[in-house]
Amino acid sequence: MELFTPDFGLIFWMFVAFGILFFILWKFAWPMILKTVDHRADLIDKGVEYAHEAQELLKNAQQQSDAYMAEARRKQADMLREADKMKTQIIEEARTAAQSEAQKVMDSAKLQIEQQQKEAQQQLRNQVSEMALEIAGKVVKTQLDNDQAQSKLVGTLLDELESKK
Amino acid sequence: MSILTRNGMKLRLKSIMAFLLAAVLMAPVAMAGDRESGIEKDASEALHDVEKDADEAAHKLDPKDIIFEHLGDAYGWEVPFDHHHRIPLPVIVWVSDGLHVFSSSRVTDGQTYHDGDLSFRIAGHDSPYKGKVVEVTPDGKEIKPLFDFSITKNVCGIFISLIIVLALMFWLVGFYRRNGLKAPRKGLGAIEALMIFIYDTVIKSTLGKNASRFAPYLLSVFFFIFVMNLLGLIVIFPGGANLTGNIAVTLVLAVLTFLVTNLFGNRHYWKEIFWPDVPIWLKFPIPIMQFIEVFGIFTKPAALTVRLFANMMGGHMIVLVLTLLIFIFAAASPAAGGGATVISVLFSVFMLLIDVLVSFIQAYVFTMLSTIFISLANEEHAHEEHAHEHATDKATAEVKTA
Repeated sequence: MELFTPDFGLIFWMFVAFGILFFILWKFAWPMILKTVDHRADLIDKGVEYAHEAQELLKNAQQQSDAYMAEARRKQADMLREADKMKTQIIEEARTAAQSEAQKVMDSAKLQIEQQQKEAQQQLRNQVSEMALEIAGKVVKTQLDNDQAQSKLVGTLLDELESKK
Repeated sequence: MSILTRNGMKLRLKSIMAFLLAAVLMAPVAMAGDRESGIEKDASEALHDVEKDADEAAHKLDPKDIIFEHLGDAYGWEVPFDHHHRIPLPVIVWVSDGLHVFSSSRVTDGQTYHDGDLSFRIAGHDSPYKGKVVEVTPDGKEIKPLFDFSITKNVCGIFISLIIVLALMFWLVGFYRRNGLKAPRKGLGAIEALMIFIYDTVIKSTLGKNASRFAPYLLSVFFFIFVMNLLGLIVIFPGGANLTGNIAVTLVLAVLTFLVTNLFGNRHYWKEIFWPDVPIWLKFPIPIMQFIEVFGIFTKPAALTVRLFANMMGGHMIVLVLTLLIFIFAAASPAAGGGATVISVLFSVFMLLIDVLVSFIQAYVFTMLSTIFISLANEEHAHEEHAHEHATDKATAEVKTA
């Protein structure tokens, strides 16, 4: 049967055709196609890996930012607390300073008053003594002749007066 | 989709169906009317060519002849939808006095062509060289040419397939050149997906690190066979040539695989053939195993040849027989013809769809078996046992599916 007997011409041309096809594709097509396909597969693999990494990084970044936020909050609270403390301290200090200043002023005022009192006493004493002397003189002038005995009497009287005071 | 357009589509679909049914039912009736002028019996033209030709009136319906004519090769190529006109193709014959080249139109319809002192014609039905161009001596004897290099229908079809495969691949290459590592879409994407499917699942997974070495051959084989298979399913030019259903074509492909397998086989492959790991009495002094192994070298390409050839030819033959049934029944009675038409057309369409699937499967199986044969001849010693089992398992599984 002719179906089962290969025809020489057809075999020849088939060899030629396949030879041409194979040569052209082998030279100009397959290397390029397979290379591109492989490269693209690599690229996709790399892309997937990169995406995974990015996801991981993103997760880490989220955690990190959360940590930073918590830290910042803590610091803020600390700072506020410290500021509060400082405020009370400053107020306290100001108060004590004011107190001590006031004390000082008061002390000096007291001192001054005392001094002035003393001075006034001294003055008064002097005045009183002068006045007393004057009075005594007048009295004595009238009552006593002996000046010396009289002034001695006045002195004792004055001492008495003072000790009474 | 709106209700309106859906209804519109339904209507259109219905009218198409009605038209097809009417056409299919009318054809045998029309033929019956023409019965006195005889029935033109051409399987592939049956659905289109209702008109009869008075020249053919004398012919009896001979299904075997028609089938073989359509499965076989020819010197001209039918003009689409016209059984009587042929696209002339060059006839190239090498006879005793040298090369003769002439158009096939000079020898059609039993004409004799005179070229110098010699005359040529296509041998008739009763000649041993039936259907071939022969040299006719003055005393009427037919001499077969030494070599017949004619560009026949099949040769032409092979070159059309070649151009299609090249065009597809260079389309892909062109896309890569323009777009770098971008992935193609649509049609080109499908071609690429097919290519990657074969490369990854068949070639790479079987050959491993040898893949890039043999991939050019195997991919070329796959696409060439696939395109030839599909082209064979198209009824009219540029299809219609039964390429992979021709034993010469499959033989060449199988021989190429045989050559690649044995020329690139490593030392271990040859050791397995001439000194396999079997008890000594099996290989010495009577070389039983060697004989079996050497025999095996040649059965592999033979199996490849016959598998592809028989599968494709079988598919074509079933479609032809189904179509011929219409004419056989129509000759009996118009009513039987009408019924047979509906059934035959439905079955033919179904068979052709199956053949599309078979086209892919056979191209795939051929490539896969070639890959396995090559990988067996290139196995590294250390992994030999395992890989051999693996490959054989795969082969048997695949043969079952085929």
